[in-house]
Amino acid sequence: MDLLAQQLVNGLFIGSVYGLFAIGYTLVFGVLDILNLAHAAVFTLGGLIALWLVETCGLSIWMAFPASVLICGLLGLLLDRVAFAPLRQRADSNFSGLISSIAMAIIFESAALGLFGARTVRFPAHTVSVSVWRWEGLSITSLQVEIVAISILLMFALTQFLNRARVGKAIRAVAENDRTARLLGIHVDGIIAFTFFISSALGGAAGILFGLYFDSLSPDMGRSIELKGLAVIILGGMGSIPGAILGGLAFGLSEVLTVAITGTSNLRDAVAFTVLFTVLVLRPSGLFGRKKLREA
Amino acid sequence: MHNVQRRKLIVVALFMAAGLFSGQICTQSFAAATEAKIGFAFSMTGAAASYGATQTKGAQMAVDEINAAAGAEGIKISPIFEDDASVPQQGINVFNKFINADKVSLIIGPTLSNTAQVTDRIAQTAGVPVLAISNTAKGITEIGDFIFRDSLTEMVVIPNTIKIVKEKFGVKKVAVFYGNDDAFTKGGYEAFKKALADAGMEILTEQTFAKGDRDFSPQLTQIKGKNPDAIIVSALVEEASGIVSQARQLGIPATVPIIGGNGFNSPALIKNAGEAAEGVIMGAAWNVTSTNPVNTKFVEAFTAKNGGAPDQFAAQAYTGVYIAYEALKKAGSTTDHKAIRDALLQLKDLDTVLGKFSFTPERDANHVPVVQIVKGGKFAVLE
Amino acid sequence: MEALAQFFAIYGSLINFIGINAILALSLYLTLAAGQLSMGSAAFAGIGGYTAGILTMKLGVPFLPAVAAGSVVAGIAGLLIGLPVLRLTGVFLAIATLSFGEVVRIAVLNVDITGGAQGLVGIPNHTKTWGIYLALMVVGYGIARLRYSRIGWCFESIREDETAAKAMGIDTTYYKILAFVLGAMLAGFAGALYAHLNYLITPREFGFSVAVDLLIYNIVGGTRAWYGPVFGAILLTALPEILRGTGITAGPMRMATNGLILLAVILFLPNGLVSIFRRTGTKREKSPLAASEEA
Repeated sequence: MDLLAQQLVNGLFIGSVYGLFAIGYTLVFGVLDILNLAHAAVFTLGGLIALWLVETCGLSIWMAFPASVLICGLLGLLLDRVAFAPLRQRADSNFSGLISSIAMAIIFESAALGLFGARTVRFPAHTVSVSVWRWEGLSITSLQVEIVAISILLMFALTQFLNRARVGKAIRAVAENDRTARLLGIHVDGIIAFTFFISSALGGAAGILFGLYFDSLSPDMGRSIELKGLAVIILGGMGSIPGAILGGLAFGLSEVLTVAITGTSNLRDAVAFTVLFTVLVLRPSGLFGRKKLREA
Repeated sequence: MHNVQRRKLIVVALFMAAGLFSGQICTQSFAAATEAKIGFAFSMTGAAASYGATQTKGAQMAVDEINAAAGAEGIKISPIFEDDASVPQQGINVFNKFINADKVSLIIGPTLSNTAQVTDRIAQTAGVPVLAISNTAKGITEIGDFIFRDSLTEMVVIPNTIKIVKEKFGVKKVAVFYGNDDAFTKGGYEAFKKALADAGMEILTEQTFAKGDRDFSPQLTQIKGKNPDAIIVSALVEEASGIVSQARQLGIPATVPIIGGNGFNSPALIKNAGEAAEGVIMGAAWNVTSTNPVNTKFVEAFTAKNGGAPDQFAAQAYTGVYIAYEALKKAGSTTDHKAIRDALLQLKDLDTVLGKFSFTPERDANHVPVVQIVKGGKFAVLE
Repeated sequence: MEALAQFFAIYGSLINFIGINAILALSLYLTLAAGQLSMGSAAFAGIGGYTAGILTMKLGVPFLPAVAAGSVVAGIAGLLIGLPVLRLTGVFLAIATLSFGEVVRIAVLNVDITGGAQGLVGIPNHTKTWGIYLALMVVGYGIARLRYSRIGWCFESIREDETAAKAMGIDTTYYKILAFVLGAMLAGFAGALYAHLNYLITPREFGFSVAVDLLIYNIVGGTRAWYGPVFGAILLTALPEILRGTGITAGPMRMATNGLILLAVILFLPNGLVSIFRRTGTKREKSPLAASEEA
């Protein structure tokens, strides 16, 4: 019994990291109808930059985390400026935006490779002090709890922000219909830039948490989560934040349980992608997505 | 219009070809009569980069020592280091370059058995000797008579490890956790399985993982639930580090030792897993504290030059260069591959860092293995 | 002559690789020509490659029939996948084909007959350079002819505006599936050739990053004509070697160059590099629909 409980804990934990990552993805898609494939690269850079701040600059993780998140937000602004804004006028802006995000992803990943080397690196031991709590055969580390808490906090903050704050509401307005939003006096380009800022900041945060927990960072760590993030937002519904969160948790759980049941990690992704494929064929708007499917 | 376009394309193509071609001519060097070119195919990037890094250091040191001592008459080694990125596809390119472009006397490497499986076939067909210095899986020297290795195979080391573990810890039931996507880790698993059966130990559960996995908690949780006396792990160092630290985090007690294969023999394990690495046991071909005089000299020189003690991979690479050098001297030629091959085969009781070294008739390494345990953040011999 | 032989000895595998990549790029081009962004080409290549490899290795089937079989099996897979998936458009189609590709890769990873994660080792080396380039020329010619055939115009009209095409009475479903299946068959063909090139194929070679690479060849080369993807494939496959000649050898720099080229193309030359040449092209190429072409 506590075996199952432990696996649930494992799944919830990884699921919350996926959810955090997916929110950034789905935010940009909801607003721009564009898939930003550079998100995974920002995830990677977030982790690596935080490592650099801790290791080389000697900051404590409590300083390095927000600093790196901020830098990732700025990377998001850069992304918008260089790769997306120039293409907004074009008729096929969704497709060309996709391509330019791929280009930026390659550039970011090569920057990570060049600056940090190809090897897998780790946060120095004792970056975060970890205590392990054991209870009825269940084992939870303080780091896991902290990570889940931070993820939930960020997700909650974002949802509140979108619902309550003026800028948040403006973002939702632009997501709904950018022309109308413009007519209402909203500075659409600025809002879009800000959306990228938030999205990339969250992506970077997810990267740092991932690197902290799994104790390993490498320039290609984005690869593994890239496709999963995509699957999560499709499952949850593109553009839906609660969908991304729930999708992330569901995904994390399914992964862990698949591995636990089969005893091998080979099929881990199979369940996920089969679900993804089925969802796309049967109900492309996902669990919580908007019913009308825009031309993407 | 079309003709203009076509002409443009042809011109561009010609320039490209010229560029490729001329680049090639300029970089080709002609070896002097007493200069031997050796191609080193190491994994400098990718899953095996930790190993490749120390291998390069060990090999470079040997090359430098030999060249310094060579004088005017002796054979100098002209090393060519290339990265095989830990994947067979890149290994193929590297071997092709060594064989066809650089025309090396022999090839040392590649780092991973997984790559060697494919690349060594190319060398065998081309008749170029290959000296493996870290391939320990089955089926490597079987590829052909030009393939040698100075690294003890898992088939020799693992049964010894299991025997000693059984004696010292009275282990009866184990869990097995291995990577099923790599020739080395899979081969290690098979060797463990056979050794466990021979020792009469029961396998409670078998779990697998893949290279690049970071999250081992699902499988480790299952393993923990079975309450084994020990956990047998066949993994490369990146995954091994993750497995070891996550196992302890999940609450698997230190009284349940983790036993590993050759992949564990890298200091990267201790560095990455930190305290969790204490008490991990692994079979090895070499221990840094060995008192063999060639070894003590090597350890001193390496530590002075690189600011840290060598590991088994550096030791085997260093030995490999010296073995190659002896063979080149005996063969009396740097271009006659068959002569070099024959000379390798005939080496007997060479004094090396690993002890007295010979090849078996099947061209495998022949010397006594050890069992190590991590104590106080260092590799110690299990007493 | 000796120098030429040496050239081939060193660059032989690169030249082979360029040829195969060109054919693969064309397989994606076929689906793009009908307006479908399919990311499944790599998976279809894998299906073709593994089928052909298993046939020659385990059943001793001769080379050409095995390649044909690989192509056909990939085509059938294309049909099976295409039917449910072609209702989706744009990014959703891309993601669906991508997830299909991942499922295939994982299936191959877990089945014994394909050698699992280590792949099929020891496939006989039947593919020769001249064979690859002969195939490339035949395929290129075929696609060029297709462009001005009835099928080609139907593809083009679906690509430009599917609703209008339907309104004009074109059976868009049939043509979309046709494009998809043809693309799958061509990819399977290329995969089968590739399998017999280097003794070994692994699941990793038919995964997501390969699918992205094929897309990049198409975009960088240009998707308005058949020689676009070929040019893109040649340029980007040979680029690491060309850069090595000019001294840029480091991994990050090569990668960054690829990314920068792609970015530059999509921002400034959305019709691909070949559109530079086509600025001097004949009037015959421009149909009235080309007014919507961004130049």
